[in-house]
Amino acid sequence: MANQDENARQRRQPQASRRTFLRGATAAAGSAAITGIAGLPFVRSARAADAPVEIVFMHVWGTPPGEKAAAIKHPATQLIEAFNAKNTGVTVRGETPSGDYFQTLTKAQAQIAAGKPPALVTTPWSNINYAVQGLQVLSLEKLGGSEAKGVLANYKPEVLPLVTMNGQTIGLPLAFSCPVMYYNNEIMKQAGVDPAEMFKDWASFKRLGAKVKAVTGNPILGLGNNADWEAQSIIQCNGGRVLDDNARPAWDSPEAIAAMAMMADLNKAGLYLQSTTKESNAAFIGGSLAIWMASIASLGGLSKQVKFDLKTSPFPVFAGKPRKMSSGGSFIGCYARDKDQQRGAWEFLKFVASKEGMDIWLKTGYLNATKYDEPVLPGQDSAYTQLAEGLTRESPWPGSRAAEVQKVWGTYVERIWAGDISAEDGCKQAKQQVLPLLPKT
Amino acid sequence: MAVAIEEGTAGAPDAGHGTRALAEPVDRRRVFAWNRYRFWEKATPFLFVAPVIAIVGVFTYWPLIYSIWLSFFDWNFVSPVKEFVGFANFTRLVDDPRFHRALWGTLVYILALVPAQVLLPLGLALLLWPIRRSRAQAVYRVTLFSPTVISFSVAALLWLWIFNPLQGILNKVIFEFGFAKVSWLSNPNTAIWCVIVVSIWKTIGFNLLLYLAALEAVPNDYIEAASLDGASGWQMFRLIRFPLITPTFFFVLVTTIISVNDEVFGAINVMTDGGPFDRSSNIVYYLYEQGFRIFQIGSASAVSLLIFAGTAILTWVQFRFVERHVHYG
Repeated sequence: MANQDENARQRRQPQASRRTFLRGATAAAGSAAITGIAGLPFVRSARAADAPVEIVFMHVWGTPPGEKAAAIKHPATQLIEAFNAKNTGVTVRGETPSGDYFQTLTKAQAQIAAGKPPALVTTPWSNINYAVQGLQVLSLEKLGGSEAKGVLANYKPEVLPLVTMNGQTIGLPLAFSCPVMYYNNEIMKQAGVDPAEMFKDWASFKRLGAKVKAVTGNPILGLGNNADWEAQSIIQCNGGRVLDDNARPAWDSPEAIAAMAMMADLNKAGLYLQSTTKESNAAFIGGSLAIWMASIASLGGLSKQVKFDLKTSPFPVFAGKPRKMSSGGSFIGCYARDKDQQRGAWEFLKFVASKEGMDIWLKTGYLNATKYDEPVLPGQDSAYTQLAEGLTRESPWPGSRAAEVQKVWGTYVERIWAGDISAEDGCKQAKQQVLPLLPKT
Repeated sequence: MAVAIEEGTAGAPDAGHGTRALAEPVDRRRVFAWNRYRFWEKATPFLFVAPVIAIVGVFTYWPLIYSIWLSFFDWNFVSPVKEFVGFANFTRLVDDPRFHRALWGTLVYILALVPAQVLLPLGLALLLWPIRRSRAQAVYRVTLFSPTVISFSVAALLWLWIFNPLQGILNKVIFEFGFAKVSWLSNPNTAIWCVIVVSIWKTIGFNLLLYLAALEAVPNDYIEAASLDGASGWQMFRLIRFPLITPTFFFVLVTTIISVNDEVFGAINVMTDGGPFDRSSNIVYYLYEQGFRIFQIGSASAVSLLIFAGTAILTWVQFRFVERHVHYG
């Protein structure tokens, strides 16, 4: 009898656990099914009709390192908060996956691929081709319809071509910048060098640079951005071009090679600091580096961080040639596929493009791309001088391998400037290397 | 219809009750219950492991198969069109100087880091072993292990400051001794070695702990007996300790070779971005750039398959030629 009971118990045991398992599995499957149904398009649209729209604005501007979020909110955050406070039925949620444009675009791309695109993403000017061909960005004309023209009328006419392709406005100009020369005026004074004279042209820069170097004992010029961006301006100032009208490499022209050779000469003279951008930034803020060539967008941050007399200057020119600087930064691209998301995105873009939005945004130090009368921050005048002289579009790298083309050219620029390869060989080899990466014409 | 169940049927509910045959007719309900029982008896183990198989399948084998598939296409994960390019993503690598530099970097990292991460912790463990009962060893252990748990982005800030060409402590020291300042992370001859130093600093503590644990497990009787027989320290290490910790040594060797190029990725990404001029890049960083900076998923998949194949071959070589020297006790 005891044996029978034991056997019965043993027989029941696996059945009981199986039942439990099946019950759990059924519950899990049921939950999954319910979740799945909730995600179906018709359920989503039914839900969206009676709910406020929330959109994601993915950007690169977080709280500056070392600052407390509550103490200093980046103007991008202030912009979002000001818009949300208006209770338009559209709520914007800011996301900053990285302070790096490419990493942010990567994150956005992953979300687009997953079918959950962020509605708005800061997209570098240099990736405009990729935004159109690779990521199917929505033009403002399609997004805003008849309202688009009125919104764009607030922008300076010289800015809109920078964001226009095939007659379509690819995004809303936002972070509009150009490279300038930041310098430590105290070192200049110690060296007895007149900055206006030094930054007049590259020959003066090299001649007087030796006096500046004598003060610190260090190289005097550091690089604050990807080298290909500054290289574009330097080449253009010498009458060369990086890409021709057909987006083919033109950096092997005599003018371009001479411009690159000038930078290599600075390195040979011990004036150019070979370093990463992070290192040169730290050295400039710390007062060890006299001059830093970087985007005007860094002005706001630098002004708060340095403890010396910070000044800016337009880039030196090549004797007898006009200055022809490149623009830079990013526009806001719309990648939303859902109609409600697109509507929300447009509402936010209209606010960004308004006077109120620009009042907030231009605290960053970026240039004013609109016609609104906005105050010029101390130090911004150099950038506005360059803007008045005419900024060109940042090289719109072509084809599906655009980023790789940019990377290859950027690496050769660094090599030439560091004296790792001659300007002529570097420019020619770079062209040979990128030709197979370009779309076939 | 009468159905008889044969004697000794595997899994019969009363199989343990002897060899009695069930000759009498059995009703349909009982047969159905019996068949159902047999079905679930066999199916239940599979159901229990199904979640694990599903997870491994979805997160390990499916990506692997999908990578093979993607390596034949030109695609960016978003474009609605996937262009079939055959083996072009593989053949392109043959002509790509950046890939060649990444391969060279990979080789340098393996040659420098594998001995450093396998032998250096062993040496340190042997040095710390005699003071295993003192508090000093705990202090050393914590000191050496701490970098392992620090986030790479935080650690990199420290090292960026050390290596800064104008303000870094390293240049300040060597300048005091009359040497010229060096752009450590921007000089093509020094950048890769800076990454190697940081990687060693970051990972040495983990292997050290493994070795210390292995040394702890060596039976003291052997050591005492050898000691009585007059064995020298070197003989004790060579003939007793090392053979007995070879399973740990082999584990550290295999995992280091497999992971060394993944481990340096953090240092490369934060400190040098593969530069200057791709001279501190390696194949994993190249893969990352292709996939997530240049958005060439096909190329990245092709590289990932090469890494997979290379790692598999290296691991096989180790198991084939090194494992025979391992004493599993």
